[in-house]
Amino acid sequence: MLTAPAQASVAPGTGPARDGASRKTTPLYIVCSPQRTVGKTLLARLLSEFYLMDGRPVAAFDLADEEPQLADFLPRSTTLADIGEAMGQMALFDQIIADREATKIVDVSHRTFKDFFSIAAKIEFFEEARRQGIEPLILFMIAPGNKSAKAYNILGRWFAEASLLPVRNHMVAKGVPYGSGFPNESGVSVSLEIPLLPASLKALVEDRSFSFAEFCRERPSPLPARLDEEFRAWIKRIFLQFREVELWLICEDIMSSLR
Amino acid sequence: MAKPAVVLIGADKGGVGKTTVARTLLDYFTAHQIRVRAFDTEVPRGTLKRFHPDVTEVVDINLVPDQMKIFDTLQDGDASVTLIDVRAGIMSPTLRALRDIGFIDAAKKGQLTFAVFHILGPSIASLDEISETAAYLGDAKYFMVKNFINNTHFFEWDEATHSSYFKRIKDAVEIVIPKLSEMATEQVELASVPFVTFIANKKRSGEPANNSFVLRGYVRHWLGNIWAEYDRIGVTDIVRPKELTTATGTASTAGNEPLGRPRPVVRIAAEAANN
Repeated sequence: MLTAPAQASVAPGTGPARDGASRKTTPLYIVCSPQRTVGKTLLARLLSEFYLMDGRPVAAFDLADEEPQLADFLPRSTTLADIGEAMGQMALFDQIIADREATKIVDVSHRTFKDFFSIAAKIEFFEEARRQGIEPLILFMIAPGNKSAKAYNILGRWFAEASLLPVRNHMVAKGVPYGSGFPNESGVSVSLEIPLLPASLKALVEDRSFSFAEFCRERPSPLPARLDEEFRAWIKRIFLQFREVELWLICEDIMSSLR
Repeated sequence: MAKPAVVLIGADKGGVGKTTVARTLLDYFTAHQIRVRAFDTEVPRGTLKRFHPDVTEVVDINLVPDQMKIFDTLQDGDASVTLIDVRAGIMSPTLRALRDIGFIDAAKKGQLTFAVFHILGPSIASLDEISETAAYLGDAKYFMVKNFINNTHFFEWDEATHSSYFKRIKDAVEIVIPKLSEMATEQVELASVPFVTFIANKKRSGEPANNSFVLRGYVRHWLGNIWAEYDRIGVTDIVRPKELTTATGTASTAGNEPLGRPRPVVRIAAEAANN
């Protein structure tokens, strides 16, 4: 279990707080869970493709060490990162801080969960990110059991300056109450959910050459009409939630420019 | 005139991190706005001087003129603290010389403050050093520093044996210097700047540097932990007695911290960046 570093600083605050209020805030999504097969890579893929679909720059980082992983699906926009060594940590954290333009998405595997957040706390990564106009959003894939709730609670205590959002993947966490186990205490009032995907679409989505963005652009679809409609609705519902998160960021930018 | 303070940093063994500890102390004093001058006894080319050239002078402590340069000038100038980084192998002879010139007695009479930071190595020989050092200490404040920066394992130490030596020196206090990532250590060495300057991402000239954020973060975290140790043992109170600081108000910093309390490392670094 995570042990707080001696100087894990926790600064209260909601919304972007950065140097130079005129700059546009770029999001840094950290998709994580201490458990495996909860849909982290699926969410990271959807997020990446949401931005790529509009031709917006995305820098995705894959901390997974087992397949299938984000880099398998989006090799052109994903960098594999090994945070076991200082060099790898520099390649990840320094690059995130240095790139002010692209939306960053980090897929944190269950194996690197503890190390990633320990290092982030130690080097005060989230504070620096916010100073640089990068808004960290921790997207935590909730799952049944104490392990998940305990880790969520620790992250909430450690990183009060980052927005911690529970994400419910209905394929694994249907019926798990958000309630006391996974409270959303961030300023982002969006309930992120991945609805159930029709079983007949699972193979298609897991195909490494499949792209959500391309599917959305492609008409006519290779799928039967009803399934096509269902799948598009599924993607649309998820992308709508991403839009809501973006809207929150824009509102926070406007608010901070008025302060 | 303020009572001068002399801080001696030494070990009889080389490579145990004396200069690293000296550098953290110089940064700490500067952060607390305590004026300090330093002497580097690693002649002819001192390592400490490389990092803190503005306040450091290289001397040969075996030579009488250089001893005069240090100890006859304790009341001169505006530095209230004199820090001496004693090179490997001459800690005991230096303490002996200090006793012979009456320095230890002067400290005993309260004419000056004397503190010794004894950096210990991992071997049992270090414990013998403690024993030898004890004979010369008088009323000095004695700090036994376990330095883990070089990934030292104090493998030869038996706790009972250690305690028996430790107790030989009255009021001895133990300090632990944690390990710093090798790459961060290496990059600060290459940059040849004080730790706080590295954290602030500056070059010696004051221009922006291009140091890794990750490595700066590691150094900041590490230095913060060391300063917490210095706070714990009350370094500022030793070199700057409370009544003096209260009277002059010199301990008051730019922020609203209580008297004598350190400012967070990150803020020191930010201030350095703005200067």
